[in-house]
Amino acid sequence: MTGQADGKMPAVSSVIGRSCPRVDGADKVTGSALFAADRRMEGMLYARVLRSTVPHAVLRRIDAEAARAVPGVAAVYTAADIPGENRVGIIVKDEPVLVDDRIRRVGDPLALVVAGNEQALAAAMSEIEVFYEELPAVFSPEEAMAGGAPAIHGQGNIQSVTRIVRGDVDSALKEARAVISRRYTTQMVEHAYLEPEAGLAAVVDGLVTIWVSTQNPHYDRREVARVLGIGQNRVRVVQSPTGGGFGGKLDISVQCLLGLAAWKTGRPVRMVYSREESMAASPKRHPCVIDYTSACDGDGRLLAVKVKIVGDTGAYASYGPATLKRAAVHATGPYEVPNVFIESYCVYTNNPTAGAMRGFGVPQVAFAHESQMDLLAGALGLDPFTIRLRNCFRPGGVTATGQRLLHSVGIKETIDRARAKAEELGMLEGKR
Amino acid sequence: MKPFRFRATVNGRPVDLPVDPRRRLLDVLREDLGLTGTKEGCGEGECGACTVLLDGRPVNACLVLAPEAAGCDITTIEGVAVEGRLHPIQEAFLEAGAVQCGYCTPGMILAAKALLDKDPRPTDQAIKTAVSGNLCRCTGYVKIVKAVRLAAARLAREEGAV
Repeated sequence: MTGQADGKMPAVSSVIGRSCPRVDGADKVTGSALFAADRRMEGMLYARVLRSTVPHAVLRRIDAEAARAVPGVAAVYTAADIPGENRVGIIVKDEPVLVDDRIRRVGDPLALVVAGNEQALAAAMSEIEVFYEELPAVFSPEEAMAGGAPAIHGQGNIQSVTRIVRGDVDSALKEARAVISRRYTTQMVEHAYLEPEAGLAAVVDGLVTIWVSTQNPHYDRREVARVLGIGQNRVRVVQSPTGGGFGGKLDISVQCLLGLAAWKTGRPVRMVYSREESMAASPKRHPCVIDYTSACDGDGRLLAVKVKIVGDTGAYASYGPATLKRAAVHATGPYEVPNVFIESYCVYTNNPTAGAMRGFGVPQVAFAHESQMDLLAGALGLDPFTIRLRNCFRPGGVTATGQRLLHSVGIKETIDRARAKAEELGMLEGKR
Repeated sequence: MKPFRFRATVNGRPVDLPVDPRRRLLDVLREDLGLTGTKEGCGEGECGACTVLLDGRPVNACLVLAPEAAGCDITTIEGVAVEGRLHPIQEAFLEAGAVQCGYCTPGMILAAKALLDKDPRPTDQAIKTAVSGNLCRCTGYVKIVKAVRLAAARLAREEGAV
Protein backbone atom coordinates (compact mmCIF):
# COMPACT_ATOMS: atom_id res chain seq x y z
CA MET A 1 0.00 0.00 0.00
CA THR A 2 1.39 3.37 -0.93
CA GLY A 3 -1.70 5.50 -0.22
CA GLN A 4 -3.26 6.35 3.11
CA ALA A 5 -6.86 6.89 4.18
CA ASP A 6 -6.41 10.65 4.41
CA GLY A 7 -5.05 10.74 0.85
CA LYS A 8 -1.54 11.68 1.94
CA MET A 9 1.44 9.72 0.75
CA PRO A 10 3.48 7.93 3.39
CA ALA A 11 6.69 9.73 4.28
CA VAL A 12 8.79 6.88 2.92
CA SER A 13 7.52 5.07 -0.14
CA SER A 14 8.89 1.72 -1.22
CA VAL A 15 8.63 2.60 -4.91
CA ILE A 16 7.95 6.26 -5.69
CA GLY A 17 11.09 8.26 -6.39
CA ARG A 18 13.26 5.18 -6.44
CA SER A 19 14.69 2.99 -9.15
CA CYS A 20 13.05 -0.40 -8.74
CA PRO A 21 13.70 -3.64 -10.56
CA ARG A 22 10.94 -4.57 -13.02
CA VAL A 23 8.59 -7.13 -11.52
CA ASP A 24 9.01 -9.31 -14.63
CA GLY A 25 12.64 -8.41 -15.29
CA ALA A 26 14.36 -11.56 -14.03
CA ASP A 27 12.00 -13.78 -16.04
CA LYS A 28 12.67 -11.78 -19.17
CA VAL A 29 16.49 -11.87 -18.95
CA THR A 30 16.57 -15.62 -18.24
CA GLY A 31 14.08 -16.60 -20.95
CA SER A 32 11.60 -18.09 -18.50
CA ALA A 33 8.86 -15.50 -19.14
CA LEU A 34 6.05 -17.33 -20.96
CA PHE A 35 4.80 -15.27 -23.89
CA ALA A 36 1.58 -16.54 -25.50
CA ALA A 37 3.38 -18.48 -28.25
CA ASP A 38 5.50 -20.19 -25.57
CA ARG A 39 2.47 -21.81 -23.93
CA ARG A 40 1.41 -25.36 -24.66
CA MET A 41 -1.15 -27.72 -23.19
CA GLU A 42 -1.76 -31.45 -23.37
CA GLY A 43 -3.81 -32.31 -26.47
CA MET A 44 -3.38 -28.82 -27.92
CA LEU A 45 -4.59 -28.05 -31.45
CA TYR A 46 -3.21 -25.44 -33.84
CA ALA A 47 -5.28 -22.85 -35.69
CA ARG A 48 -4.74 -20.62 -38.70
CA VAL A 49 -7.09 -18.35 -40.58
CA LEU A 50 -7.54 -18.17 -44.34
CA ARG A 51 -7.54 -14.53 -45.44
CA SER A 52 -8.90 -12.78 -48.49
CA THR A 53 -6.56 -11.94 -51.35
CA VAL A 54 -8.90 -9.36 -52.89
CA PRO A 55 -9.76 -5.95 -51.39
CA HIS A 56 -13.49 -5.77 -52.09
CA ALA A 57 -15.93 -8.54 -53.02
CA VAL A 58 -19.26 -10.16 -52.27
CA LEU A 59 -18.56 -13.49 -50.62
CA ARG A 60 -20.76 -16.16 -52.22
CA ARG A 61 -19.64 -19.45 -50.75
CA ILE A 62 -16.76 -21.22 -49.04
CA ASP A 63 -16.21 -24.89 -49.84
CA ALA A 64 -14.20 -26.50 -47.08
CA GLU A 65 -15.13 -30.16 -47.62
CA ALA A 66 -11.73 -31.16 -49.05
CA ALA A 67 -9.95 -29.25 -46.28
CA ARG A 68 -11.98 -31.05 -43.60
CA ALA A 69 -10.92 -34.38 -45.13
CA VAL A 70 -7.20 -33.66 -44.77
CA PRO A 71 -5.75 -36.11 -42.18
CA GLY A 72 -5.10 -34.34 -38.90
CA VAL A 73 -7.67 -31.59 -39.45
CA ALA A 74 -10.10 -31.27 -36.54
CA ALA A 75 -12.41 -28.65 -38.03
CA VAL A 76 -12.82 -25.82 -40.50
CA TYR A 77 -15.11 -23.02 -39.32
CA THR A 78 -16.80 -20.29 -41.31
CA ALA A 79 -19.13 -17.43 -40.30
CA ALA A 80 -22.08 -19.85 -40.06
CA ASP A 81 -20.38 -21.57 -37.11
CA ILE A 82 -20.31 -18.46 -34.92
CA PRO A 83 -22.89 -18.94 -32.16
CA GLY A 84 -23.26 -15.28 -31.15
CA GLU A 85 -22.77 -11.92 -32.90
CA ASN A 86 -20.34 -11.87 -35.80
CA ARG A 87 -19.27 -8.23 -35.43
CA VAL A 88 -16.61 -6.68 -33.22
CA GLY A 89 -15.07 -3.22 -32.83
CA ILE A 90 -13.98 -0.97 -29.97
CA ILE A 91 -16.20 1.98 -31.01
CA VAL A 92 -18.33 0.70 -33.91
CA LYS A 93 -19.21 -3.00 -34.26
CA ASP A 94 -18.43 -3.16 -37.98
CA GLU A 95 -15.78 -5.89 -38.31
CA PRO A 96 -16.63 -9.58 -38.83
CA VAL A 97 -14.77 -12.29 -36.93
CA LEU A 98 -15.19 -14.38 -40.10
CA VAL A 99 -16.60 -12.71 -43.21
CA ASP A 100 -20.27 -13.54 -43.81
CA ASP A 101 -21.30 -11.22 -46.66
CA ARG A 102 -18.68 -8.81 -47.89
CA ILE A 103 -14.89 -8.81 -48.13
CA ARG A 104 -13.65 -5.26 -47.46
CA ARG A 105 -9.87 -5.55 -47.55
CA VAL A 106 -7.02 -7.87 -48.45
CA GLY A 107 -6.50 -9.93 -45.31
CA ASP A 108 -10.12 -10.19 -44.17
CA PRO A 109 -10.58 -13.50 -42.27
CA LEU A 110 -12.68 -16.05 -44.22
CA ALA A 111 -12.25 -19.49 -42.65
CA LEU A 112 -10.59 -20.87 -39.54
CA VAL A 113 -8.71 -24.17 -39.78
CA VAL A 114 -7.99 -26.20 -36.65
CA ALA A 115 -5.65 -29.19 -36.79
CA GLY A 116 -3.44 -31.45 -34.72
CA ASN A 117 -0.22 -30.25 -36.33
CA GLU A 118 1.20 -27.44 -38.46
CA GLN A 119 1.63 -29.63 -41.56
CA ALA A 120 -2.07 -30.57 -41.64
CA LEU A 121 -2.93 -26.87 -41.16
CA ALA A 122 -0.87 -25.84 -44.15
CA ALA A 123 -2.28 -28.65 -46.31
CA ALA A 124 -5.88 -27.82 -45.38
CA MET A 125 -5.45 -24.10 -46.07
CA SER A 126 -4.68 -24.79 -49.71
CA GLU A 127 -7.72 -27.07 -50.06
CA ILE A 128 -10.29 -24.39 -49.17
CA GLU A 129 -12.18 -22.93 -52.13
CA VAL A 130 -13.58 -19.42 -51.87
CA PHE A 131 -16.22 -18.17 -54.33
CA TYR A 132 -16.70 -14.43 -54.56
CA GLU A 133 -17.64 -11.63 -56.94
CA GLU A 134 -15.13 -8.81 -56.97
CA LEU A 135 -16.36 -5.25 -56.53
CA PRO A 136 -14.67 -1.99 -57.49
CA ALA A 137 -12.45 -0.90 -54.59
CA VAL A 138 -11.27 2.48 -53.31
CA PHE A 139 -7.74 3.03 -52.03
CA SER A 140 -7.76 6.67 -50.97
CA PRO A 141 -10.15 8.78 -48.87
CA GLU A 142 -10.36 11.21 -51.78
CA GLU A 143 -11.84 8.50 -54.04
CA ALA A 144 -13.96 7.16 -51.18
CA MET A 145 -15.52 10.59 -50.50
CA ALA A 146 -16.26 11.30 -54.17
CA GLY A 147 -19.80 10.99 -55.47
CA GLY A 148 -20.61 7.54 -56.88
CA ALA A 149 -17.82 5.78 -54.94
CA PRO A 150 -18.64 2.19 -53.94
CA ALA A 151 -20.07 2.27 -50.42
CA ILE A 152 -17.95 -0.02 -48.27
CA HIS A 153 -20.42 -0.33 -45.39
CA GLY A 154 -23.71 0.14 -47.21
CA GLN A 155 -23.87 3.94 -47.03
CA GLY A 156 -21.47 6.85 -47.56
CA ASN A 157 -17.83 6.22 -46.73
CA ILE A 158 -17.47 9.10 -44.27
CA GLN A 159 -17.47 7.24 -40.98
CA SER A 160 -17.49 10.33 -38.76
CA VAL A 161 -16.76 14.08 -38.79
CA THR A 162 -15.44 16.31 -36.02
CA ARG A 163 -15.75 20.13 -36.21
CA ILE A 164 -14.21 22.68 -33.88
CA VAL A 165 -15.20 26.31 -34.40
CA ARG A 166 -13.97 29.28 -32.37
CA GLY A 167 -14.28 32.97 -33.30
CA ASP A 168 -14.38 34.10 -36.95
CA VAL A 169 -11.60 32.68 -39.08
CA ASP A 170 -12.54 34.40 -42.36
CA SER A 171 -12.48 37.91 -40.88
CA ALA A 172 -9.20 37.20 -39.09
CA LEU A 173 -7.59 36.00 -42.33
CA LYS A 174 -8.37 39.37 -43.96
CA GLU A 175 -6.56 41.28 -41.20
CA ALA A 176 -3.48 39.07 -41.18
CA ARG A 177 0.01 40.23 -42.10
CA ALA A 178 1.16 36.72 -43.11
CA VAL A 179 -0.93 33.78 -44.30
CA ILE A 180 0.55 30.37 -45.07
CA SER A 181 -1.44 27.53 -46.70
CA ARG A 182 0.04 24.11 -47.32
CA ARG A 183 -1.03 20.50 -47.80
CA TYR A 184 0.66 17.88 -45.60
CA THR A 185 0.40 14.15 -46.21
CA THR A 186 1.48 11.46 -43.76
CA GLN A 187 1.93 7.78 -44.46
CA MET A 188 0.51 4.56 -43.05
CA VAL A 189 2.77 3.08 -40.36
CA GLU A 190 2.94 -0.48 -39.04
CA HIS A 191 3.75 -0.80 -35.33
CA ALA A 192 6.02 -3.80 -35.98
CA TYR A 193 6.10 -4.85 -32.33
CA LEU A 194 8.70 -7.56 -32.12
CA GLU A 195 6.25 -10.24 -30.96
CA PRO A 196 3.65 -11.24 -33.55
CA GLU A 197 0.09 -11.77 -32.24
CA ALA A 198 -0.43 -15.06 -30.41
CA GLY A 199 -2.78 -16.77 -28.00
CA LEU A 200 -3.88 -20.03 -26.44
CA ALA A 201 -7.47 -20.85 -25.46
CA ALA A 202 -8.85 -23.69 -23.36
CA VAL A 203 -12.32 -24.55 -22.09
CA VAL A 204 -12.56 -26.08 -18.63
CA ASP A 205 -15.94 -26.69 -16.94
CA GLY A 206 -17.70 -24.32 -19.34
CA LEU A 207 -15.23 -21.48 -18.71
CA VAL A 208 -13.19 -20.24 -21.69
CA THR A 209 -9.72 -19.05 -20.72
CA ILE A 210 -7.59 -17.22 -23.27
CA TRP A 211 -3.94 -16.37 -22.67
CA VAL A 212 -3.14 -13.74 -25.23
CA SER A 213 -0.70 -11.04 -26.29
CA THR A 214 -2.95 -8.01 -25.86
CA GLN A 215 -3.20 -4.45 -24.56
CA ASN A 216 -6.93 -4.69 -23.90
CA PRO A 217 -7.99 -7.80 -21.93
CA HIS A 218 -11.30 -6.35 -20.63
CA TYR A 219 -12.44 -5.42 -24.13
CA ASP A 220 -11.28 -8.82 -25.43
CA ARG A 221 -13.40 -10.52 -22.81
CA ARG A 222 -16.55 -8.62 -23.76
CA GLU A 223 -16.07 -9.36 -27.45
CA VAL A 224 -15.35 -13.08 -26.97
CA ALA A 225 -18.49 -13.38 -24.82
CA ARG A 226 -20.64 -11.61 -27.47
CA VAL A 227 -19.20 -13.69 -30.30
CA LEU A 228 -19.75 -16.96 -28.44
CA GLY A 229 -23.16 -15.83 -27.16
CA ILE A 230 -22.28 -16.57 -23.55
CA GLY A 231 -22.04 -14.48 -20.38
CA GLN A 232 -18.87 -12.56 -19.59
CA ASN A 233 -18.68 -14.63 -16.42
CA ARG A 234 -17.78 -17.60 -18.62
CA VAL A 235 -14.85 -15.89 -20.34
CA ARG A 236 -11.48 -15.22 -18.76
CA VAL A 237 -8.79 -13.32 -20.64
CA VAL A 238 -5.25 -13.40 -19.25
CA GLN A 239 -2.74 -10.96 -20.68
CA SER A 240 0.49 -12.80 -21.43
CA PRO A 241 3.76 -10.90 -21.30
CA THR A 242 3.19 -8.76 -24.37
CA GLY A 243 6.10 -8.25 -26.73
CA GLY A 244 5.29 -4.67 -27.66
CA GLY A 245 1.96 -3.22 -28.70
CA PHE A 246 2.22 0.54 -29.21
CA GLY A 247 -1.56 0.66 -29.73
CA GLY A 248 -1.59 -2.13 -32.30
CA LYS A 249 -2.70 -4.76 -29.79
CA LEU A 250 -5.74 -2.82 -28.58
CA ASP A 251 -7.92 -4.42 -31.27
CA ILE A 252 -9.11 -8.00 -31.59
CA SER A 253 -6.60 -10.30 -33.31
CA VAL A 254 -6.66 -14.00 -32.35
CA GLN A 255 -8.99 -13.71 -29.32
CA CYS A 256 -12.41 -14.46 -30.88
CA LEU A 257 -11.07 -17.04 -33.35
CA LEU A 258 -9.34 -18.91 -30.52
CA GLY A 259 -12.43 -18.68 -28.33
CA LEU A 260 -14.53 -20.13 -31.15
CA ALA A 261 -12.10 -22.97 -31.89
CA ALA A 262 -11.68 -23.98 -28.24
CA TRP A 263 -15.42 -23.67 -27.55
CA LYS A 264 -16.37 -25.82 -30.55
CA THR A 265 -13.65 -28.48 -30.33
CA GLY A 266 -13.46 -28.65 -26.55
CA ARG A 267 -9.68 -28.84 -26.90
CA PRO A 268 -6.96 -26.29 -26.11
CA VAL A 269 -6.09 -24.36 -29.28
CA ARG A 270 -3.07 -22.18 -30.02
CA MET A 271 -2.72 -19.62 -32.77
CA VAL A 272 0.40 -17.64 -33.65
CA TYR A 273 0.63 -15.12 -36.48
CA SER A 274 3.63 -15.14 -38.78
CA ARG A 275 5.26 -11.73 -39.26
CA GLU A 276 3.67 -11.54 -42.70
CA GLU A 277 0.21 -12.20 -41.27
CA SER A 278 0.81 -9.68 -38.50
CA MET A 279 1.64 -7.04 -41.11
CA ALA A 280 -1.37 -7.95 -43.25
CA ALA A 281 -3.96 -8.24 -40.50
CA SER A 282 -3.06 -5.72 -37.79
CA PRO A 283 -4.24 -2.09 -37.63
CA LYS A 284 -1.96 0.74 -38.75
CA ARG A 285 -1.37 4.41 -38.02
CA HIS A 286 -3.89 6.57 -39.92
CA PRO A 287 -2.42 8.10 -43.06
CA CYS A 288 -3.68 11.71 -43.17
CA VAL A 289 -4.07 14.49 -45.70
CA ILE A 290 -3.98 17.81 -43.84
CA ASP A 291 -4.81 21.13 -45.49
CA TYR A 292 -3.54 23.77 -43.13
CA THR A 293 -3.86 27.56 -43.28
CA SER A 294 -2.27 29.73 -40.55
CA ALA A 295 -2.42 33.49 -40.23
CA CYS A 296 -0.54 35.87 -37.94
CA ASP A 297 -0.01 39.59 -37.36
CA GLY A 298 3.25 41.48 -37.95
CA ASP A 299 4.65 40.37 -34.57
CA GLY A 300 4.06 36.71 -35.39
CA ARG A 301 1.03 36.38 -33.11
CA LEU A 302 -1.37 33.77 -34.45
CA LEU A 303 -4.72 35.22 -35.49
CA ALA A 304 -6.35 32.19 -37.06
CA VAL A 305 -5.94 28.63 -38.23
CA LYS A 306 -8.12 26.72 -40.64
CA VAL A 307 -7.50 22.99 -40.89
CA LYS A 308 -9.05 20.11 -42.79
CA ILE A 309 -7.85 16.65 -41.79
CA VAL A 310 -8.83 13.54 -43.74
CA GLY A 311 -7.81 10.24 -42.19
CA ASP A 312 -7.90 6.86 -43.94
CA THR A 313 -9.30 4.36 -41.43
CA GLY A 314 -9.31 1.54 -43.98
CA ALA A 315 -11.91 -1.20 -44.07
CA TYR A 316 -13.08 -0.93 -40.45
CA ALA A 317 -13.46 1.92 -37.97
CA SER A 318 -11.32 0.49 -35.14
CA TYR A 319 -10.11 3.51 -33.13
CA GLY A 320 -10.51 5.78 -36.16
CA PRO A 321 -13.33 8.04 -34.89
CA ALA A 322 -11.39 8.78 -31.68
CA THR A 323 -8.04 9.16 -33.48
CA LEU A 324 -9.43 11.71 -35.92
CA LYS A 325 -11.24 13.51 -33.11
CA ARG A 326 -7.98 13.78 -31.23
CA ALA A 327 -6.18 14.98 -34.35
CA ALA A 328 -8.79 17.78 -34.54
CA VAL A 329 -8.48 18.68 -30.85
CA HIS A 330 -4.69 18.94 -31.15
CA ALA A 331 -4.62 20.60 -34.59
CA THR A 332 -3.64 24.02 -33.20
CA GLY A 333 -0.70 22.46 -31.34
CA PRO A 334 0.49 24.03 -28.07
CA TYR A 335 -0.49 27.52 -29.28
CA GLU A 336 -3.25 29.91 -28.39
CA VAL A 337 -5.32 30.81 -31.45
CA PRO A 338 -8.33 33.13 -31.13
CA ASN A 339 -10.03 32.09 -34.38
CA VAL A 340 -10.23 28.44 -35.33
CA PHE A 341 -12.06 26.32 -37.88
CA ILE A 342 -11.11 22.64 -37.85
CA GLU A 343 -12.78 19.79 -39.70
CA SER A 344 -11.63 16.22 -39.33
CA TYR A 345 -12.95 13.29 -41.39
CA CYS A 346 -12.61 9.59 -40.63
CA VAL A 347 -13.10 7.77 -43.93
CA TYR A 348 -13.57 4.12 -44.90
CA THR A 349 -11.50 2.71 -47.80
CA ASN A 350 -10.51 -0.82 -48.86
CA ASN A 351 -7.05 -0.33 -47.37
CA PRO A 352 -5.74 -2.07 -44.23
CA THR A 353 -7.61 -0.92 -41.12
CA ALA A 354 -6.02 1.94 -39.24
CA GLY A 355 -6.43 2.09 -35.47
CA ALA A 356 -4.51 3.22 -32.43
CA MET A 357 -0.82 4.01 -32.58
CA ARG A 358 1.34 6.03 -30.20
CA GLY A 359 0.13 9.63 -30.23
CA PHE A 360 -3.28 8.69 -31.64
CA GLY A 361 -3.55 11.24 -34.49
CA VAL A 362 -1.39 13.88 -32.79
CA PRO A 363 1.95 13.15 -34.55
CA GLN A 364 0.23 13.69 -37.90
CA VAL A 365 -1.05 17.18 -37.01
CA ALA A 366 2.18 18.06 -35.17
CA PHE A 367 4.07 17.62 -38.44
CA ALA A 368 1.67 20.15 -39.98
CA HIS A 369 1.43 22.81 -37.23
CA GLU A 370 5.17 22.87 -36.56
CA SER A 371 5.96 23.16 -40.28
CA GLN A 372 3.48 26.05 -40.42
CA MET A 373 5.20 27.83 -37.51
CA ASP A 374 8.58 27.62 -39.27
CA LEU A 375 7.07 28.94 -42.50
CA LEU A 376 5.37 31.85 -40.69
CA ALA A 377 8.62 32.68 -38.90
CA GLY A 378 10.43 32.65 -42.23
CA ALA A 379 7.83 34.91 -43.84
CA LEU A 380 8.23 37.49 -41.06
CA GLY A 381 11.98 37.11 -40.61
CA LEU A 382 11.50 35.85 -37.04
CA ASP A 383 13.54 33.30 -35.14
CA PRO A 384 11.67 29.92 -34.93
CA PHE A 385 11.99 30.01 -31.12
CA THR A 386 10.59 33.52 -30.90
CA ILE A 387 7.42 32.82 -32.87
CA ARG A 388 6.74 29.75 -30.74
CA LEU A 389 7.34 31.59 -27.46
CA ARG A 390 5.00 34.39 -28.58
CA ASN A 391 2.16 31.95 -29.17
CA CYS A 392 2.58 29.08 -26.78
CA PHE A 393 0.04 28.32 -24.08
CA ARG A 394 0.53 29.81 -20.62
CA PRO A 395 -1.49 29.31 -17.44
CA GLY A 396 -4.81 31.09 -17.95
CA GLY A 397 -4.78 30.46 -21.70
CA VAL A 398 -7.74 29.01 -23.59
CA THR A 399 -7.48 26.10 -26.04
CA ALA A 400 -9.34 25.78 -29.35
CA THR A 401 -11.96 23.65 -27.61
CA GLY A 402 -12.54 26.34 -24.97
CA GLN A 403 -10.65 24.77 -22.11
CA ARG A 404 -9.08 27.32 -19.78
CA LEU A 405 -5.67 26.06 -18.62
CA LEU A 406 -5.75 26.80 -14.89
CA HIS A 407 -2.74 24.82 -13.77
CA SER A 408 0.83 24.44 -14.96
CA VAL A 409 1.66 24.55 -18.67
CA GLY A 410 5.12 23.26 -19.55
CA ILE A 411 5.61 24.34 -23.14
CA LYS A 412 7.39 27.67 -22.51
CA GLU A 413 9.86 26.12 -20.09
CA THR A 414 10.39 23.22 -22.51
CA ILE A 415 11.21 25.56 -25.39
CA ASP A 416 13.54 27.66 -23.17
CA ARG A 417 15.43 24.60 -22.04
CA ALA A 418 15.58 23.06 -25.50
CA ARG A 419 17.03 26.32 -26.79
CA ALA A 420 19.62 26.47 -23.98
CA LYS A 421 20.60 22.85 -24.64
CA ALA A 422 20.86 23.43 -28.38
CA GLU A 423 23.07 26.49 -27.75
CA GLU A 424 25.24 24.53 -25.32
CA LEU A 425 25.76 21.83 -27.98
CA GLY A 426 26.53 24.40 -30.66
CA MET A 427 23.54 23.31 -32.70
CA LEU A 428 22.33 26.84 -33.42
CA GLU A 429 25.56 28.13 -34.91
CA GLY A 430 25.04 29.51 -38.38
CA LYS A 431 21.29 29.10 -38.09
CA ARG A 432 20.43 32.78 -37.67
CA MET B 1 11.41 -38.06 -44.90
CA LYS B 2 13.92 -40.11 -42.92
CA PRO B 3 14.59 -38.48 -39.55
CA PHE B 4 18.03 -37.03 -38.94
CA ARG B 5 19.83 -37.95 -35.74
CA PHE B 6 20.48 -34.60 -34.12
CA ARG B 7 23.38 -34.76 -31.69
CA ALA B 8 24.69 -31.60 -30.12
CA THR B 9 25.51 -29.96 -26.81
CA VAL B 10 22.80 -27.56 -25.67
CA ASN B 11 23.58 -25.37 -22.67
CA GLY B 12 26.30 -27.81 -21.62
CA ARG B 13 24.10 -30.91 -21.83
CA PRO B 14 24.30 -33.56 -24.54
CA VAL B 15 21.22 -33.84 -26.77
CA ASP B 16 20.44 -36.79 -29.04
CA LEU B 17 17.07 -36.91 -30.80
CA PRO B 18 15.57 -37.72 -34.20
CA VAL B 19 14.40 -34.67 -36.15
CA ASP B 20 12.95 -34.00 -39.57
CA PRO B 21 16.00 -32.59 -41.43
CA ARG B 22 13.82 -29.86 -42.97
CA ARG B 23 13.14 -28.29 -39.59
CA ARG B 24 14.86 -25.19 -38.33
CA LEU B 25 17.11 -25.14 -35.28
CA LEU B 26 14.57 -22.66 -33.83
CA ASP B 27 11.79 -25.28 -33.98
CA VAL B 28 13.93 -28.00 -32.43
CA LEU B 29 14.90 -25.70 -29.56
CA ARG B 30 11.38 -24.38 -28.93
CA GLU B 31 9.21 -27.38 -29.75
CA ASP B 32 11.33 -30.48 -29.06
CA LEU B 33 13.52 -29.19 -26.24
CA GLY B 34 10.98 -26.75 -24.75
CA LEU B 35 13.55 -23.94 -24.72
CA THR B 36 11.02 -21.20 -25.46
CA GLY B 37 13.31 -18.39 -24.33
CA THR B 38 14.49 -18.27 -27.94
CA LYS B 39 11.87 -16.12 -29.69
CA GLU B 40 10.57 -15.98 -33.25
CA GLY B 41 9.97 -12.42 -34.40
CA CYS B 42 10.11 -12.62 -38.19
CA GLY B 43 11.28 -16.06 -39.32
CA GLU B 44 13.53 -14.58 -41.97
CA GLY B 45 16.66 -13.41 -40.22
CA GLU B 46 15.73 -9.74 -39.98
CA CYS B 47 15.01 -9.19 -36.27
CA GLY B 48 17.50 -11.30 -34.32
CA ALA B 49 14.99 -12.35 -31.63
CA CYS B 50 15.99 -15.99 -32.19
CA THR B 51 19.73 -15.36 -31.73
CA VAL B 52 21.59 -18.29 -30.15
CA LEU B 53 25.30 -19.07 -29.99
CA LEU B 54 26.75 -21.84 -32.17
CA ASP B 55 30.24 -22.56 -30.87
CA GLY B 56 30.24 -19.05 -29.43
CA ARG B 57 29.13 -17.36 -32.66
CA PRO B 58 25.74 -15.57 -32.77
CA VAL B 59 23.33 -16.96 -35.40
CA ASN B 60 19.66 -16.53 -36.24
CA ALA B 61 18.15 -19.90 -35.25
CA CYS B 62 15.38 -19.33 -37.83
CA LEU B 63 17.95 -19.44 -40.65
CA VAL B 64 19.80 -22.54 -39.45
CA LEU B 65 18.51 -25.97 -40.45
CA ALA B 66 18.73 -28.39 -37.54
CA PRO B 67 21.32 -30.65 -39.25
CA GLU B 68 23.62 -27.65 -39.74
CA ALA B 69 23.86 -27.27 -35.96
CA ALA B 70 24.65 -30.93 -35.34
CA GLY B 71 27.85 -31.44 -33.40
CA CYS B 72 27.88 -27.83 -32.24
CA ASP B 73 28.01 -26.36 -28.79
CA ILE B 74 24.73 -24.41 -28.63
CA THR B 75 23.96 -21.74 -26.02
CA THR B 76 20.44 -20.40 -25.61
CA ILE B 77 19.23 -17.78 -23.12
CA GLU B 78 18.37 -20.59 -20.68
CA GLY B 79 22.08 -21.44 -20.52
CA VAL B 80 23.37 -17.97 -19.68
CA ALA B 81 22.61 -17.87 -15.94
CA VAL B 82 24.77 -20.33 -14.03
CA GLU B 83 23.18 -22.35 -11.19
CA GLY B 84 20.38 -19.82 -10.80
CA ARG B 85 22.80 -16.88 -10.59
CA LEU B 86 22.24 -14.18 -13.19
CA HIS B 87 25.13 -13.55 -15.56
CA PRO B 88 26.61 -10.02 -15.25
CA ILE B 89 25.13 -9.19 -18.67
CA GLN B 90 21.65 -10.16 -17.42
CA GLU B 91 22.14 -8.09 -14.27
CA ALA B 92 23.34 -5.14 -16.31
CA PHE B 93 20.30 -5.32 -18.62
CA LEU B 94 18.01 -5.15 -15.57
CA GLU B 95 19.92 -2.34 -13.89
CA ALA B 96 20.30 -0.18 -16.98
CA GLY B 97 16.60 -0.43 -17.87
CA ALA B 98 17.46 -2.22 -21.09
CA VAL B 99 14.50 -4.59 -20.73
CA GLN B 100 11.02 -3.37 -21.65
CA CYS B 101 8.68 -5.77 -23.43
CA GLY B 102 11.42 -8.37 -23.20
CA TYR B 103 10.88 -10.03 -26.55
CA CYS B 104 14.23 -8.97 -28.04
CA THR B 105 16.03 -9.43 -24.72
CA PRO B 106 17.20 -13.07 -25.03
CA GLY B 107 18.67 -12.46 -28.49
CA MET B 108 20.15 -9.15 -27.40
CA ILE B 109 21.85 -10.73 -24.36
CA LEU B 110 23.33 -13.53 -26.48
CA ALA B 111 24.60 -11.05 -29.08
CA ALA B 112 26.20 -9.10 -26.22
CA LYS B 113 27.69 -12.27 -24.76
CA ALA B 114 29.25 -13.23 -28.10
CA LEU B 115 30.86 -9.79 -28.21
CA LEU B 116 32.14 -9.67 -24.63
CA ASP B 117 33.53 -13.22 -24.78
CA LYS B 118 35.83 -12.06 -27.60
CA ASP B 119 36.27 -8.34 -26.85
CA PRO B 120 36.09 -7.63 -23.10
CA ARG B 121 36.59 -3.87 -23.52
CA PRO B 122 34.48 -2.93 -26.53
CA THR B 123 34.05 0.60 -27.82
CA ASP B 124 30.48 1.93 -28.12
CA GLN B 125 30.81 1.45 -31.86
CA ALA B 126 31.73 -2.21 -31.36
CA ILE B 127 28.70 -2.66 -29.09
CA LYS B 128 26.41 -1.06 -31.65
CA THR B 129 27.84 -3.26 -34.38
CA ALA B 130 27.44 -6.37 -32.22
CA VAL B 131 23.70 -5.74 -31.67
CA SER B 132 23.08 -4.36 -35.17
CA GLY B 133 21.35 -7.60 -36.16
CA ASN B 134 18.93 -7.39 -33.23
CA LEU B 135 15.87 -5.17 -33.48
CA CYS B 136 14.29 -3.59 -30.43
CA ARG B 137 11.04 -1.64 -30.83
CA CYS B 138 10.76 -0.33 -27.23
CA THR B 139 14.01 1.04 -25.85
CA GLY B 140 15.57 3.06 -28.65
CA TYR B 141 18.80 1.06 -28.00
CA VAL B 142 20.47 3.70 -25.78
CA LYS B 143 19.93 1.70 -22.60
CA ILE B 144 20.92 -1.53 -24.29
CA VAL B 145 24.29 -0.06 -25.27
CA LYS B 146 24.62 1.29 -21.73
CA ALA B 147 23.86 -2.18 -20.32
CA VAL B 148 26.54 -3.84 -22.43
CA ARG B 149 29.05 -1.17 -21.35
CA LEU B 150 28.07 -1.75 -17.71
CA ALA B 151 28.40 -5.53 -18.14
CA ALA B 152 31.85 -5.13 -19.67
CA ALA B 153 32.97 -3.06 -16.67
CA ARG B 154 31.56 -5.62 -14.23
CA LEU B 155 33.18 -8.54 -16.02
CA ALA B 156 36.52 -6.72 -16.08
CA ARG B 157 36.26 -6.17 -12.31
CA GLU B 158 35.41 -9.86 -11.75
CA GLU B 159 38.41 -10.87 -13.85
CA GLY B 160 40.59 -8.55 -11.81
CA ALA B 161 39.33 -10.06 -8.57
CA VAL B 162 40.25 -13.61 -9.58
